[in-house]
Amino acid sequence: MFLQTQRITKEFGKLRAVNQVSLDIRKGDIHAIIGPNGAGKSTYFNLVTGYHQATSGKVLFKGNEITHLPAFRRCKYGITRSFQITSIFPKFTVYESVLMGLLSHRGVTLSFFSASKKFFKEEVYRILEDVGLADQADTLGDSISHGDKKRLELGITLGTEPELLLLDEPTCGMSAEETDSIMSLINKLSTERGITILFTEHDMSVVFGIAKRISVLHQGTLIADGKPDEVRANEEVQKVYLGGTA
Amino acid sequence: MVINQTEQKESMLKRGWWLILLVAGAIIAPHVISDFYLVILIEALIMSLFALSFNLLFGYMGQLSFGQAAFYGLGGYTVAMLITKVNFNFWLSLLAGVGVAGFVGLIVGFFCVRLRGIYFAVLTLAFGQLLFVIIYKWHDFTGGDDGIQGVFPPGILKIPMAYYYFVLLIFIASAFILWRIVNSPFGHTLKAMRENPERTEFLGIHIAKYQLITFVIAAAFAGLAGALWVPFYRSVAPFYLMWIKSGEPVMAAILGGASTFFGPVLGMFIMTFIHAYILGFTHFWPIIMGTIILIIIFALPGGILEFAKVKIKERQERMKSAKGSS
Repeated sequence: MFLQTQRITKEFGKLRAVNQVSLDIRKGDIHAIIGPNGAGKSTYFNLVTGYHQATSGKVLFKGNEITHLPAFRRCKYGITRSFQITSIFPKFTVYESVLMGLLSHRGVTLSFFSASKKFFKEEVYRILEDVGLADQADTLGDSISHGDKKRLELGITLGTEPELLLLDEPTCGMSAEETDSIMSLINKLSTERGITILFTEHDMSVVFGIAKRISVLHQGTLIADGKPDEVRANEEVQKVYLGGTA
Repeated sequence: MVINQTEQKESMLKRGWWLILLVAGAIIAPHVISDFYLVILIEALIMSLFALSFNLLFGYMGQLSFGQAAFYGLGGYTVAMLITKVNFNFWLSLLAGVGVAGFVGLIVGFFCVRLRGIYFAVLTLAFGQLLFVIIYKWHDFTGGDDGIQGVFPPGILKIPMAYYYFVLLIFIASAFILWRIVNSPFGHTLKAMRENPERTEFLGIHIAKYQLITFVIAAAFAGLAGALWVPFYRSVAPFYLMWIKSGEPVMAAILGGASTFFGPVLGMFIMTFIHAYILGFTHFWPIIMGTIILIIIFALPGGILEFAKVKIKERQERMKSAKGSS
């Protein structure tokens, strides 16, 4: 199994944000986690990426238990994430930002005397081509458009050559046009680079348009998990979440 | 890409000319200035090295240390004690000063790098004051508030001009090493941690480890600065470790521009020379220094060099667009 959570639980005081969620993510899938606000999607993400430590339960990645590993170490194993609120390096150029992920992943960050400019030029440009930012390589991160910032964050994470990429609301705050283009980019990354994608999203048309599997959380509990059609047909999902819209 | 590279080489050459001019000026300087200003120049160089060490933490790692003088003082005390008490070799004493400062930096840093922002600043301040009090109170070992006198450099280095060239050499070598560090992959990681520690951690970087390494490097170079200062003045005193001393590189960095490599050097030169000049006719030099800093903060946010850099860039872009339209 690629990524597996076993009865994973997170409590904040008396609030049980994630409740005994057991879930398998298969290699190569584009897997969506949906649920109403406060369903525990982001907390679940944080448990997988190491932002939070689980109260109980286990997280296994490629057979290794990673439940209590710090975030940076999980990243070394091949798990990287984006954030709901776009998280980039504001005063780095687009080029320098993507370079950071590569420097880290290729293990040269303890090199003290060679010029960082000389490293991985081709790799950086290949990523920039992929995310469509090559023409803005020398622009500062905080002076590109919101949609491009999301692309840049994707580019930064690609530098670490992830096997599993977690995207927390990748289309948050985007126009319909930008949403389409970023989702097709994500699709492309999944097929061309073979990256397994786990993402949360509130826009149902986006989710059903791209996801190969969907898991539904409700009040911290997993209530459905399966192919889009199965999830759409699920009565409980209809009741608590999709309502009449699906 | 090809055009880009030649452009880069050209701009490097242009930048290189500045440095060559500066170094040439520094080599000629002692022959054209008075003995008084030669002493001030030596002070400025040593203090600039101190400021550069501080700015590795402040400008590049993004954490304000308010205890950097502790390492400066420790470097100085190590040299003073080794030379006066056990008649130790001068050169090895300098090395020992760097080593002791770096080692204590490792211990202090171990605790400080767990914190960020104001908490980091306050903890470095607390450790700095702790080390100051230890040296101040431990009369039998350190000489307490009397300090230590009679710390002589060997042979020809007793002559100020020789000592000047010696300091200049070490300053250039240190600045070169620090310059390489901040432009290396390690330096890139430092800047990334300053820009966005969370994002950096989620790219696989163990933040505390990198901050600790930086803390030790900064402490070692501060120690080197202290170790150079003490033999020049033949004495050391506890106030070298005090928080007021820690404030000097802070002011120099803000004055000259913390986001530029040489900003703190420029700031320290301005401070040292204004200090020397104003002391000639009034003891109220902090008032004048304070006024200057106030003006800089409001008129040139980011410091002098940062302001100049922005202006030069604007001009280049104007010229570029003018070329493009013609």
